[in-house]
Amino acid sequence: MISMFTFLLMSTIATSALFFTGCSGGADTKAIGSVADAAMKVYVAPGAKDEFYDFASGGFSGQVAVIGLPSGRLIRVIPVFSMDPEKAWGFSEETKPMLMTSHGFIPWDDSHHPEFSMNDGVPDGRFLFINANNTPRIARIDLTDFRTKEILEIPNSAGNHSSPFTTENSEYVVAGTRFSLPIPNEDVSIETYSEKFKGTLSFIKVDKATGRMSLAFQIVMPGFDYDLAHAGKGPSHDWIFFTCYNTERANTMKEINASQNDKDFIVGINWKRCEELAAQGKGQVVNVSYAHNIYNDETHTASSAIEKNVRILSPADTKGNVFYMPTPKSPHGCDIDPSGEYIVGGGKLATVIPVLSFSKMLTAIQDQKFDKEIDGVPVLNYKAILAGEVEKPGLGPLHTEFDGKGFAYTSMFVSSEIVKWSLKDYKVVDRVPTYYSIGHLGIPGGDTKKPWGKYVIAYNKITKDRFLPTGPELFHAAQLYDITGEKMKLLLDFPTIGEPHYAQACPADLIMKNSKKIYQLAQNKHPYATKKEADARVVRKGNEVHVYMTTIRSHFAPDNIEGIKVGDKVYWHLTNLEQDWDVPHGFALLGANNSELLIMPGETCTLLWEPKTPGVYPFYCTDFCSALHQEMQGYVRVSPSGSSTALTWNARK
Amino acid sequence: MKSVVGKLLVLIASVSVILGTLPACTAEKESDDDDSDKSEQEISDEKSYYKIKHVDISPKIDVKMASSGKEIFETKCSACHKYDERYVGPPLGKVTKRRTPEYVMNMIMYTETMLDNDDTVKSLIQTFMLRMPNQNVTEQDARNVLEHLRDYAQKN
Repeated sequence: MISMFTFLLMSTIATSALFFTGCSGGADTKAIGSVADAAMKVYVAPGAKDEFYDFASGGFSGQVAVIGLPSGRLIRVIPVFSMDPEKAWGFSEETKPMLMTSHGFIPWDDSHHPEFSMNDGVPDGRFLFINANNTPRIARIDLTDFRTKEILEIPNSAGNHSSPFTTENSEYVVAGTRFSLPIPNEDVSIETYSEKFKGTLSFIKVDKATGRMSLAFQIVMPGFDYDLAHAGKGPSHDWIFFTCYNTERANTMKEINASQNDKDFIVGINWKRCEELAAQGKGQVVNVSYAHNIYNDETHTASSAIEKNVRILSPADTKGNVFYMPTPKSPHGCDIDPSGEYIVGGGKLATVIPVLSFSKMLTAIQDQKFDKEIDGVPVLNYKAILAGEVEKPGLGPLHTEFDGKGFAYTSMFVSSEIVKWSLKDYKVVDRVPTYYSIGHLGIPGGDTKKPWGKYVIAYNKITKDRFLPTGPELFHAAQLYDITGEKMKLLLDFPTIGEPHYAQACPADLIMKNSKKIYQLAQNKHPYATKKEADARVVRKGNEVHVYMTTIRSHFAPDNIEGIKVGDKVYWHLTNLEQDWDVPHGFALLGANNSELLIMPGETCTLLWEPKTPGVYPFYCTDFCSALHQEMQGYVRVSPSGSSTALTWNARK
Repeated sequence: MKSVVGKLLVLIASVSVILGTLPACTAEKESDDDDSDKSEQEISDEKSYYKIKHVDISPKIDVKMASSGKEIFETKCSACHKYDERYVGPPLGKVTKRRTPEYVMNMIMYTETMLDNDDTVKSLIQTFMLRMPNQNVTEQDARNVLEHLRDYAQKN
C-alpha cells in the first residue's frame, strides 16, 4: 500500500534518475530494471523506520556496523576489538580492561562473523557474538544497549576464523583454528608442521541466563586449516560442522601447496556426546593462559582476569563422535539448510556445489563406510553421504544462505554473482551479477530454521566505479537484492565500514522492544559515581586526585578546580545526572593524551589525565546538549610540582 | 471592532510577557522573590493536555512522602533548581504557591508535553533559554517530590 504522494515522489525520483542516465555515470538500469520500482522498495520515508537491523562485521576495522534495511543507512558503529576515541572505548578507565589479552593490551583486531544468540534455531534478539581473527577472541555484544559486554580469549589457537558459530539454542559458541600451531606452542622449526602442528576446535559454553561465556573444552585435530562452521538444527541439533582445507598440511606457498587435493573435508562433530565425554573427565586439563574480560552493567566498569586451564580432548578421546566428510575442493563456507538435513560446502576451487546429507551421514557412520582414517579420525565415503551436487553453478562458490522457501543462494567470488538454486533438485534457477567480487552474502535469518526471505545482501570485496572516487582506497560496499519473486532483483548499493565479511540481520521488532533508553541513576554502583550535584567534590590521595563531577544540561559541577600539580594523576569521574533518552554529555580536556568521554544518562565514566605543564586548562562538553551547550565548560588550574596552591573547587549546595 | 479587540489582546499579551505573567493565569508571577502569601492552589486546573488530570492532596503533609521526595529532588532536580534563588531553572521553594499540584506533577513527569503545550512553560523557556529535561521520574516519586515542595513551602 503506498500513498499517491509516495507514488508521485517515486515517479519524480525515477524521472530524475532516468534523466541522469542520459548524462555520465547514471543508474545501472540494465541491472535494476525500473528505477522507480527499486526506489520504492528501499525508500524509508522520514520518520519511518527500517524493517530489519543488519549487523555487519567490520573486518579490519575490528568493529560491528549496524545498518538499517532496506534503506542501507548506517545507524551505529559498535566498538568491539578496536579502540574508539569517540566512545572512549579502550581509552576510559572503565573500558581499558576489555582489550586486555594474555599478550597485554591490544588496541585492534579483525572481526569477521557476527552471530545472533539463538533459541530453537532462531535469533532471540539478546546477544550478538563476533570473533577476533588475529588474536583469537570472541566478544559478546548486548543488544539492549549495543555495547560489548564480554571478551574471551581463546588459547591454543591462531587465525580464529571458524568462529563464533552457535548451536541451536546457543548452548555453545565454537572457535576453530585457521592456522594450526604446535600445541602447546613452543620453539620448533616450521618444517615440523606436518608432524607437530595441530588445529583445535574450542567449545565455549554460554550461560542461558546471563550470556556469560566459559571455555568448556577443546578438541585437538590434525593440522589442517579449519575455515568456517555452522551448527546443525532440528534433527542435526547435536552436531556441528567445520570446513577445512590444506589437508595437504603445507606450511609454505599454501596458494599452490594447499590446493593439491581434489577433496578436502567438512568435519562433523557430535558436540552433545563430546560435552558428555568432557563431563566424564575424558582428555586432560592443560595449563594455558587466556584473558577473560567482563563489563559489569551495575558498576559500568570492566574487569580482566587471566584464566589458566582448559580441558583438551584428542581424537582418541572423541572416537566415534568426530568424522571427516570429503568435500570438493578447498571448501570455505559450511552452511546448513533450515531443515537441518543439508550441509552445503562452498568449495573455492570446486566446479560443483556439494550438498551433503545429514541422514546419510548417520547411516554411513552406522555402516562404517569409511575410506580411511587420518590421525584417528575416520573419513567417510563421499558418495555415501552425498545428497547431490549443483552442477555448473559458476566460479568460486563461497557461502550459502537460505530463503525458507526451498531455495539456496550461493555467493560466487570468481564469477562475481549470486546463484539461486533449488534444494529439491540442485538445479540453478537464477543468477545475478554483483559489483564486484562478492564474499559473504546474507538473508535475514538466512542460516536459521525460519529465514525472513525477503532480501539477500551481497558483501562485495571490490567497489571500483560504483561510487564517487576517493583515491586509491575505496570503501567496501554491499548490495541489496529483492528475492520475493522468482528472479532476484538488484535494488540498492550502500557503503559499509572496514571490510564486511559475514553479517546477520533480523526483524527490527526483535531488538527494538528491549532497547535501553537510559541507565538508571539509582542503580549506578560505580565506586566513583556522584549521584547528586551537592556531592560533587575533589579528593586528593597523595599524587592521585579524584574529581567527582556531575553533568546536566548544561553545566559541570564543579567547573573550576585549582590545586592540581604537575606530576598528579587526575582521575575525572563524570556522572551524567540526566535521566532522559538520547542526552549524553561529553568531556574533553585540552592536552589530554587519550580521548573524550561520552557519558550516557545515568552513567559514570573516568578519564585519566596527567598534566605536564603548569597553566590553566579548559574543558568542555563535546555533545551539543542544549541551547546553552556552548556555555558548558570549565577550567582546571595546574601549578608546578611541590607548589602550595590549595586544592579548591566551586561547590554548590 | 474585531481589530480593536485583536490589538487589545496583543497589547495584553505583550504586557503579560514583559511582566513575566500570562493572560491565562494573570495571578501567577515567576520571580525570585515571589513570597506572596497566597494559600496553596487547591483548585485543580484540568488542562486538556494534562496527562495527570487530578492530584489528591491533603492539607496535612505526609512526612514520609516528603522525606522520600527530598531525596529524589536532590538527585534529579537540584542540579538545576534551588529553593530560593534562580539557578539554571526557576526557584522551586514556593512553587506550590504559584502552581497547582497537577501542573507540578505534569511538569515533572510529562515534561515534553508541557513544554510544547503549556503557555506558562513556553514563556519560561524564553526566560531560561533551556527546555527542562525529562528525568524519568515515576508517578510515586513525582508525587513525593510534590509533597516535599509543599512541605518546604509551608515551613519557609
